[in-house]
Amino acid sequence: MRVLLVEDDPMIGEAMHAALKDAAYAADWVRDGRTALDALVGQHYDLVLLDLGLPGKDGLEVLGAIRARADPVPLLIVTARDGLDDRLRGLDGGADDYLLKPFEMAELLARMRAVLRRKGGQAAPLLGNGVLALDPATREATVSGGPAVRLSQREFALLRALLLRPGAILSRSELEDRLYGWGEEVESNAVEFLIHALRRKLGADAIRNVRGVGWMVARGG
Amino acid sequence: MDGGPGRLNASLQRRLALALVLCIGVVALVAGAFSFAAAYDEARELQDDVLLQVALLVDRQRLDPVPAAPDAHFKAHDDGTRVIVQRLGAVDPAGRHVDDGGVLPIPPTLADGLHTLELGGESFRVLVRTTAAGTRIAVAQESDLRDELAQGSALRTLLPFLVLVPVLLLLVARLVHTMFGPITALAQQVDARAEHDLQPMATHGLPAEVRPFVGAINRLLARVAQAMAVQQRFVADAAHELRSPLAALSLQAERLAQADMSAGARERLAALRQGIERGRRLVDQLLALARAQSAQATQAAAPVSVQRAFRQVLEGLMPLAEARAIDIGVEGAQDVQLRVAERDLHTLLRNLVDNAIRHTPEGGRVDLGVRTTAGAVVLSVRDTGPGIAPEERERVFDPFYRVPGSGPIGSGLGLSIVRAVAERIGASVRLDYSDAAQCTGLAVEVSLAHGDGP
Repeated sequence: MRVLLVEDDPMIGEAMHAALKDAAYAADWVRDGRTALDALVGQHYDLVLLDLGLPGKDGLEVLGAIRARADPVPLLIVTARDGLDDRLRGLDGGADDYLLKPFEMAELLARMRAVLRRKGGQAAPLLGNGVLALDPATREATVSGGPAVRLSQREFALLRALLLRPGAILSRSELEDRLYGWGEEVESNAVEFLIHALRRKLGADAIRNVRGVGWMVARGG
Repeated sequence: MDGGPGRLNASLQRRLALALVLCIGVVALVAGAFSFAAAYDEARELQDDVLLQVALLVDRQRLDPVPAAPDAHFKAHDDGTRVIVQRLGAVDPAGRHVDDGGVLPIPPTLADGLHTLELGGESFRVLVRTTAAGTRIAVAQESDLRDELAQGSALRTLLPFLVLVPVLLLLVARLVHTMFGPITALAQQVDARAEHDLQPMATHGLPAEVRPFVGAINRLLARVAQAMAVQQRFVADAAHELRSPLAALSLQAERLAQADMSAGARERLAALRQGIERGRRLVDQLLALARAQSAQATQAAAPVSVQRAFRQVLEGLMPLAEARAIDIGVEGAQDVQLRVAERDLHTLLRNLVDNAIRHTPEGGRVDLGVRTTAGAVVLSVRDTGPGIAPEERERVFDPFYRVPGSGPIGSGLGLSIVRAVAERIGASVRLDYSDAAQCTGLAVEVSLAHGDGP
């Protein structure tokens, strides 16, 4: 995977460059917009990390120039600008994601993977949050790389709903919507029953209850 | 508020009244004096005429001026107007006083003509005449008469002015009150203003004399607004500029964590990263505060669900709550739709909940809730932390203020942001103990008028 890093701040650029290399990406680092555009002409990149506050040519202009060439390269904006306008202009201008400085490299790498996955058009083979992993093909769950646990269809549907967005809280009615089709009769306490069963199989901490709101799985392990 | 505009009124009123009374007094006195002088002159001429006519009558008719006999009727008559005719040098045989019908002790040597004499303790106007028969007669009348006439005239001139004074005083009070009505209303309007409201004041309907003053205040407000905007922009820019170096620091620290190091070094690195995290939070909070204080709230296009906002805030803060083993949740399932910008509601709730989690000891409890009262929607966040003493409840809204003894847990900006957002969206914030009996725990209630109902 070849990544173009466009960042004018030497300290940030250096750290990101090194971290990208550590994460097994082939990373090229340029410090201004014009060079970035030139680099994109001469070389194929799988992903661009773009700062907005660039000298000479602003990041949003660079983004516009890239999209004007009909270059579909996945692009992630990494910036200190958090104005709603900047965010909207960035995303409307064709950026695939928007990450605010300061950030953790782990989060940047996760977002890069997500963008690449979306752009690649493949569904993730495995759902997970770092602790829990769910294989949609076999309906098997694993906890911290432990032995695989076989789930019933309803248990699987519920856990998949939670693992699609780790950290998000889903209410009982939202979970019921995902468990039952139209016209199917909803059994009372079905959600509690399934969660109880899942906790027994995967550990008490696997699914957390947020009092008065719903259930969630932790984000990131 | 008490007495501010009232004092201004009273003092102007008093001054106006005093000036008017003085003017009226001077005019009345001058008019009275003129009236007195004119009446006095006229009365003297009239009296002299009367004396002359009487003398002529006595002379032509050859009457013998004999002292009248004393009689009760005569006595009862006002003797101030009595005309006395007597021979010059005559002496009353009975020695009666003139008031009892006696003769006047006029000196016999008095020359012909008009005289004013002091006789028997009273002032008399006396006309001495030598008749055709050769007798000298004196015709006299008390001169008090003219004084009385003149005084009466002067008084009649003064009287209307005296009556006018209280009427004028009342009129002045009424006029001042009416004319200063718009200014009093203006003062109340300024008093009722929100702290950050720097909109110019309306000048229509104000007296022309006051308008320049209001114009000057409006120009001052505009300058203050500009200065505040510059300051807020500076805070926002500064916070913004801090982000890049913080990002560099945090990335370097993160990379450092991947290097081989001793357990001691790793511990120090963790402390360092906590410090960087604190810096990041502070910058975020500064930006949030600058944003909340800038610009007016934009009317939300669509109503926002409070329960949805609760959930989003909880999703963001669950990791923090779990790290501190805080039992956090929402009490009650009632949902309310609010017409506020989603971002404002989110900022407000996130700061309240973040504050509650950070100030509640591990294993504590934080409850979010919403309820509707008559005409208002009340959002509440209650925790089982130490609470805030009543005397601290105003100061905790000041930026960077920390309750003594609470330690540097947060950025010191959370409640400032809450208040700034509340002001933007027209809500009020109230602090209380969540456990009133034990005087512990913080309960924050944010009241928003005109909810769209449950």
